[in-house]
Amino acid sequence: MADNSFEQRRAILKGAISASTLALVAASGLLLPQRVLAHWPTDAFNAKTVEDALLALLGHAEVVDDSVVQFKVGTPPSYAVNGASVPIEIQSSLSDIERIAILVEKNPNPLAMSLDFTPAVKLPFKSMIKIAEDSLVIAVISAGGKLYRTSRMVEVDIGGCA
Amino acid sequence: MGLAAKDRIRAKLKEDETTVRLLLAHPMHTGRGKNEAGELIPAEYIQDIRCWRNDDEVLTIKCGTATARNPYFSFQLVGGALGDKITIRWVDNIGAKGTAETIVG
Repeated sequence: MADNSFEQRRAILKGAISASTLALVAASGLLLPQRVLAHWPTDAFNAKTVEDALLALLGHAEVVDDSVVQFKVGTPPSYAVNGASVPIEIQSSLSDIERIAILVEKNPNPLAMSLDFTPAVKLPFKSMIKIAEDSLVIAVISAGGKLYRTSRMVEVDIGGCA
Repeated sequence: MGLAAKDRIRAKLKEDETTVRLLLAHPMHTGRGKNEAGELIPAEYIQDIRCWRNDDEVLTIKCGTATARNPYFSFQLVGGALGDKITIRWVDNIGAKGTAETIVG
């Protein structure tokens, strides 16, 4: 009899545990749709400052400023009429690039883009970003365990962070 | 969502490298903009774009809200051959998905 009730309790407990686990999984999935993308670095993209974003994305905020390395941000404009789409171009003589982060210092969330490279990909990389107000646009390249940083001032006429 | 426009992708082989150009049709709302009635437009933006060449994943682009509306990307792939298949898949923050593919020409 004692054995029997013990078995019963175990079964009930097991059922309760799996049910609550399921409920948890469902709740987390439903309440936080961005958690579906577990690999999307939420902290980095929601960071309010450049330093925080880099820390969250690349692990350490310390950056090598290496003048030997040439790469550039923003081919045409140091002055853009419309901040809603500012063309940028990243070029570099570095090889073995692992990751590139593009940040706009004055945007509410500075991190604009993060690129995960494989050896099959080559620069230049071009895209369009939004710039809220006159701001530094910063590109950080992570290559061979080091971070290289360059920046460029971009002035905008109409802020583009709608 | 009313996305009338289509995602477009082109890939071209030139002198041992493949240039991929990609134009996605997406409003990219940051969650801070307002509509005509002055109400906030909820955030809706692409978060994750992946690119495959044939069966190899070659590039991942993660976007924040600062990527421009109807995002445009251009990049090079080392080598490649005529007839390679380039595939793109994207996912936005509310779970909408899209895919585009092209043959290298």
